[in-house]
Amino acid sequence: MNIPNVLYRKNRILLKELTKTDFKLRYQGSVLGYLWALLRPLLMFAILYVVFAKLLRFGGDIPHYPVYLLTGTVLWSFFTECTTQGIQAMVHRGDLIRKIAFPKYIVVVSTTFTALINLMINLVVVVLFALLNGVTPSWTWLLVPVLVLELYCLALGVCFLLGAINVRFRDIASIWDVLIQALFYAVPIIYPVTMVANSSTLAAKIILLNPIAQVIQDVRYSLITTESITGWNFLGSPILMAVPVAIVMIILVWGSVHFRKQSKFFAEEI
Amino acid sequence: MKREIGLRREVIVDNDIAIDVKNLHKNFKLPTEKAAGLKQAIFNRMRGVKGYKNQRVLKGLDFSIKKGEFLGIVGRNGSGKSTLLKILAGIYYPSKGEVVVNGSLVPFIELGVGFNPELTGRENVYLNGALLGFSNREMDAMYDDIWEFAELKEFQDQKLKNYSSGMQVRLAFSIAIRAKGDILVLDEVLAVGDAAFQQKCNDYFASLKEHGQTIILVTHSMDNVKKFCTRAIMIEDGKIVANGDPKEVSEKYLNLFK
Repeated sequence: MNIPNVLYRKNRILLKELTKTDFKLRYQGSVLGYLWALLRPLLMFAILYVVFAKLLRFGGDIPHYPVYLLTGTVLWSFFTECTTQGIQAMVHRGDLIRKIAFPKYIVVVSTTFTALINLMINLVVVVLFALLNGVTPSWTWLLVPVLVLELYCLALGVCFLLGAINVRFRDIASIWDVLIQALFYAVPIIYPVTMVANSSTLAAKIILLNPIAQVIQDVRYSLITTESITGWNFLGSPILMAVPVAIVMIILVWGSVHFRKQSKFFAEEI
Repeated sequence: MKREIGLRREVIVDNDIAIDVKNLHKNFKLPTEKAAGLKQAIFNRMRGVKGYKNQRVLKGLDFSIKKGEFLGIVGRNGSGKSTLLKILAGIYYPSKGEVVVNGSLVPFIELGVGFNPELTGRENVYLNGALLGFSNREMDAMYDDIWEFAELKEFQDQKLKNYSSGMQVRLAFSIAIRAKGDILVLDEVLAVGDAAFQQKCNDYFASLKEHGQTIILVTHSMDNVKKFCTRAIMIEDGKIVANGDPKEVSEKYLNLFK
């Protein structure tokens, strides 16, 4: 096939402009504006901190527990924001899809980029918190971007897969909203994995097979404290350790292939 | 549900054909029951009911457009003109057959695609420009001309929701005409605004014709067909029923309503 280079340039321009617009519109008309990108996870953190660390005393003996909790909530907010917005992206941008020809993935990717920008801002806050909390910087901090990339790939895969189905069956977005609530409790954000491991090693192992849990625990390990349980220091077998990464890759590839195949019909179905 | 799919290709070849359409079919699968949700889909599958009906909109079109031609496409409402246009533009895929587009094609099927009422005029210009493939820097260069042409300069920092609909269309048109392509596809909605602005639009079309631009125009105005087009095609019930001299085709079209 003979696709002119100008098309690729066009896609880049469009991706940039749509991301910018998306970011602008998200906080349009609110007094605090972009500040909400920061405030939302911080307020969620404050609630969780009061309930789980102060009232229920979940933190126990984990060093720097507040930062530990904040890291979890920030990464989780990113995943939630990215997927809920990404799955709906095609429907929200139906006006464009019906009227002009362009690669549909741009719509999904631009929405996830907005979430990614928010995550970057939030991670800066996490690092500041960590430093204030007395965490000593270490070379392992450099691993964080790689882990974030893994989480992003998972979120993008979910957006492609479910977003494509959501074009025809709008139920998907609602199902996902419920599912993600359930998923929140399956991921060790508010409770430490050690708490689960104390009562059942098997349950803790199953929890750690979930790529979201794996990423969160690994980020905590490399950013805050080596006393975190992670997949590779707990699961024992290399095959099990590869499971979370394999899940991410399968979902991303499956999602992209399905999306690509279906996207030819989006304009007439949306 | 399994769908047939035809071919649409974009090529750059050095010959005098701009668009080549062979045996083009388009079917739409329309859901037959009102609730097109997951529940209905599962029920339909369980009951063995096909949840959709096959609507045949285009039934085998064959034609080609040469470079430099100004082709008019006419036909009554529901004849399949817009579907054809959307397939040429690459928005829909053919169900069967093949469409080959030689060169870059710029569709003006609707004005102000992506316009957002919550953004200012300025922001909308850049967004709409990006949809036409212009970078920020390219937009900077033509920014003043766009507002000049639209005659709306003093409103550029207002939110679009405070524009009247006529103002929005004028702004959209002023951006749209900046797009440069080998082939332009125009829907008639383009002739917009008050008499003075209409004149501007007509001058623009005339200048395009003078420059030998390849254009496809879908319209109901036989005056425009006779004035601008070098050839015309009439579509009736998904088939081409006339192809040739604009005068003869517009006669035939007008006879439809007698």
